[in-house]
Amino acid sequence: MGYKMRTKVFRGLNFLLLAIILILVLFPIYWMLVTAFKPKAELYRPDPTLWPSNPTYEAALHLFQRTPFFIQLRNSVLISASVTTIAIVASSLAGYSISRLHFPGRDFMASSIFFTYLIPGTMTLIPLYVFMSQLGLLNSLTCLVLSFLSFTVPYSTWMLKGYFTSIPMELEEAAMIDGCTRLGALAKVVFPLAAPGVAAVGVYTFTMSWNQYLLPMLFNNKEELWTMPVALAGWIYGDVFMWGEIMSGAIIMSFPVLLLYFLGQRFLVAGLTAGAVKG
Amino acid sequence: MTQFVRSAKQWYLIHEETVIGYLFLLPVAAILLVLVGYPGLVGIWYSLTNKMIGYTNPSFIGLRNYIELINDARLIQAIIRSLWFSFAAMVLKLVFGLLVALLINQRFPGRWFVRGAVLLPWAMPSIAAILIWAWMYNDLFGVFNFLLMEAGIVNVPINFLGDRRWVMPSIILLNLWRGFPFFTINLLAGLQAIPEELYEAARIDGASAFQNFLHITLPSLRTVILIICLLSFIWNANIFTDVWVLTRGGPGKASEVFSILTFKLAFQGLELGKAAAVPVLLMPFFSILIVFLNKAVSGEEV
Repeated sequence: MGYKMRTKVFRGLNFLLLAIILILVLFPIYWMLVTAFKPKAELYRPDPTLWPSNPTYEAALHLFQRTPFFIQLRNSVLISASVTTIAIVASSLAGYSISRLHFPGRDFMASSIFFTYLIPGTMTLIPLYVFMSQLGLLNSLTCLVLSFLSFTVPYSTWMLKGYFTSIPMELEEAAMIDGCTRLGALAKVVFPLAAPGVAAVGVYTFTMSWNQYLLPMLFNNKEELWTMPVALAGWIYGDVFMWGEIMSGAIIMSFPVLLLYFLGQRFLVAGLTAGAVKG
Repeated sequence: MTQFVRSAKQWYLIHEETVIGYLFLLPVAAILLVLVGYPGLVGIWYSLTNKMIGYTNPSFIGLRNYIELINDARLIQAIIRSLWFSFAAMVLKLVFGLLVALLINQRFPGRWFVRGAVLLPWAMPSIAAILIWAWMYNDLFGVFNFLLMEAGIVNVPINFLGDRRWVMPSIILLNLWRGFPFFTINLLAGLQAIPEELYEAARIDGASAFQNFLHITLPSLRTVILIICLLSFIWNANIFTDVWVLTRGGPGKASEVFSILTFKLAFQGLELGKAAAVPVLLMPFFSILIVFLNKAVSGEEV
């Protein structure tokens, strides 16, 4: 085989491999979509059809009408939005502080934030539970907002510190030489430049809260105070098979997140690697 | 008075960085202190008491919880399970993630689509992913068993989540699907940062593609690989939701990783004190990994 031929075969094999990988990676998502649109009779038999023969949205309808799904959806939105807002405001300030300013104890704070991001969540789970119960906050949405901050804030602060570090110091210094105060330079130069990063971290933080399962499962035992993850996962163990409903819920849950990622793919991915790799 | 104002102003100008620095840190510091620091210390205190759910006055019992835990094979087994699970998933994600990164790094039409598609499993909500896989693993109506039987690979349906031989591999496979894109994205960024000249020089020296990979690509990716592997290992050593939703730690204790054990001791056995001791026991191990990772991330040689 000549060199050209060999390259051609090699490229062909590459594409074949890529196609197989793509099918394997996308199949579960495809399966979620078709399951949600199959009628019950088509769902529960040992030889599943690869395409719904009678597409129907009865599962989704059932989900909306017979379960408190909309209340749980509303809970998820409310909690994730509040947590993201609080976390982003607090961690933008802190991220700026530990990446730009010099003061005693700064490096210690930076390390502590990193540390709190990665320590086992089980470390604080039991005391948090007792804490919330003593405050009388169990079975409320407030306790979820508070407890979600414990894992989102260290994460968003650490990521934002990375973004602020990547903005050249010279820009800020130039603004200050031109007569801006430090806070003026922050508002007019640094924060606008950091805006894409802040938005990206906002998306991650929102996703983190949106996905959280353990805390709402443990802290709230009333159906109408659950978030979507707890409600959907709860039906796996029910007496009645609800897979069509579960998959419809999974689609609805995935939709906003995938939309955000799709729209912001470019800077979200750039942010992920910048934050994770360069610190 | 004016003198005082002037000197206060001067003091501020000199210490501006410190003042703003602390002021801006205040909200995050307060949140972390109240919601992580304080509970963490209380957790250590609980681990030294016989605290139970429902009893308000725990009494100090020294290290008894720790001694009981260490002498209980259940804890050791859970820790070993967590460790080998994290290690196996990490290695698989690295190999698969690197393979996909190398494939996507070539120029071909539709590259942006492949890149976006590969990202999906990672971008989609973890609980949705777990539920899809729970459904595909279903022993009665799951699509995996159907496909395996159609292909003639098995005759009897496999109970992926109910058979102690299959349960951990099944959880690892889900973890691979969910986690490899994170490896791919970071490795891809690493690949694109390697200067083209290195490969050109190697081509002039007559190096083969494999030699290039071994002597240029891998060494250049060293730091990225170290960071993503450590992150993956730490995340997975803490895994709870995937296992809890799929198996509750079962069948028997076949998938009882350490966080599941902690949860069960606390909220099914009601022994809060003993449960609180489990993560405390593991803290030194996690601390070492985190310090190591912190060094790698801040660019120090490790």
